[in-house]
Amino acid sequence: MKKSVVIIEDEPFIIEALTFLLENEGLVVRSISDGANAIDFIIKSKPNLVILDIMLPNVSGMKILEDIRSMDEISNLPVLMLTAKGQKKDRRAAEEAGVSKFMTKPFDNQELIENVKAMIKS
Amino acid sequence: MVGALLGTRIRENRKALKLTQKDLAKIAGISASYLNLIEHNRRGIAGKTLNTIARALSVEPSELSDGMNQSLINRLKSAAIRNKQINTETNRIEEFAARFPGFARLIARQSDQINIRDEEFTILSDQLKHDPYFAEAMHLLLSNITTIRSTADILAGNSNIPTKTSKRFIDNLAEEALKLSNTAEDIFDYFEPTSEKQVTNLDLSPFELLLEKNSYYLKDLEYKKQTIDEILSSLNLSSEDHAKTKNSLKAYVEMVKNLPINSFLDVAVKHSYDAISLAKHFNTDILSICFRLAHLPKRSDIPKFGIIQCDASGSVLYRKQLNSFSLPRYGGACPLWPVYRSLSQPLQPIRAMLDMPMGDRFHTISFAYPTEAAQIGMPALTEAVMLFTPDYLMLPKISHTQTPQLAVGLQCTVCSRLECPARRAPYLLESK
Repeated sequence: MKKSVVIIEDEPFIIEALTFLLENEGLVVRSISDGANAIDFIIKSKPNLVILDIMLPNVSGMKILEDIRSMDEISNLPVLMLTAKGQKKDRRAAEEAGVSKFMTKPFDNQELIENVKAMIKS
Repeated sequence: MVGALLGTRIRENRKALKLTQKDLAKIAGISASYLNLIEHNRRGIAGKTLNTIARALSVEPSELSDGMNQSLINRLKSAAIRNKQINTETNRIEEFAARFPGFARLIARQSDQINIRDEEFTILSDQLKHDPYFAEAMHLLLSNITTIRSTADILAGNSNIPTKTSKRFIDNLAEEALKLSNTAEDIFDYFEPTSEKQVTNLDLSPFELLLEKNSYYLKDLEYKKQTIDEILSSLNLSSEDHAKTKNSLKAYVEMVKNLPINSFLDVAVKHSYDAISLAKHFNTDILSICFRLAHLPKRSDIPKFGIIQCDASGSVLYRKQLNSFSLPRYGGACPLWPVYRSLSQPLQPIRAMLDMPMGDRFHTISFAYPTEAAQIGMPALTEAVMLFTPDYLMLPKISHTQTPQLAVGLQCTVCSRLECPARRAPYLLESK
């Protein structure tokens, strides 16, 4: 069975690029751009990994990460945070909230793919 | 030591104006031999003679007397410390200020201006860090760049992309490149120096500039020799500044209409220029009196008043500073000033004598007032003013011995009270 990834991101062209890259690696990719419905979407999609932006409409990525870690059925889900907010304080806040990997935009495609593969394998 | 140099300062100022001792003595109504004694620091002077000599030399009496000189010397010391790489003769600052008062004032003023620019630079940097527009623009920029970089890498690194997908990515690239270009232009416009948004609020408002040029007293407006419209038309303002300046001028006219200069001055002298007592006499609020007192003609028989008006956050709304009491425009002032305390006691005037670290003293009245009625669930908006004067000896009816004394400073960097619990920045002269 193919591994799957959920992308929570509000920039459609970034979603397209990520989707192409990950599908090329044999992954099933689903995406959602509104933070408000993100948790329901994750629960329904049962992914092996979530790629999460911080600045999202309605609900921030940080709140979504906290919600993921507080819900038993998805609390162990690997989360890769992919954000333009790359300041030390953002990274520290994400680490405190339980992020699995923190990457900043703009990102290197190859580095992103390697990180995703490693996180899904573990 | 400084007091002893009063005569030296008179002599240097007189020589600079190419006046003979005889000329100056005649103007001052004293004998040339007595002036000679004064100039050689063998006789002290004060009061009327000092005022007359100062007027004849076109300087403030305080520039000849101790207070101003201490302040000037302090500013010169600050200038020297800030430029440690230049080996200045700091042990001869007093002598320098006495012998070359004009150059001393020039150095002090230029040093002050540099300090103000430094302060503005810090504020600009701070604004940039916390500017929501800039943060949003940078986020957009990074998003645009992310899409372009990632998409371009896909196109460059995958030779077997289906034509339809490839076309789609190329379209995305074109669209995102256009967005990037627009975002960059927006950012450039935002920082364009002619843009009013960033620049004008750092400098004096046109109204403040007008007041400063006229020593804070618009005589022609008071005596109706000039109208608001005539003043406005001479200023060449943007529409936004025009509206703001018009409102400020209207408020000024309202103030002089309610408290016309001649009758106000007569009463003010009788009440020792005491804002609290004058407010009772004129049956008006202390705020109006404070503003009137800060906008009187510049005359040796009228005490000089400065004023600072701030909101509850301490942000300066209006200020008239005096040479001996400079007011930071963007916070950074001494938190012990009674104007800040008054914000927690609206409508209760606070009288205090401020003792400055260098020995200058200022009589102050601070008064906070709500700007509108409080609403349920909302704090009442409050503003405060502090009226201050170094000429407290010209307020004979106010008992200075019974006025609470407050040891304060101007701001931490120039305050020598090292143990002050309110200190938040190091004293620049500490290493000396």
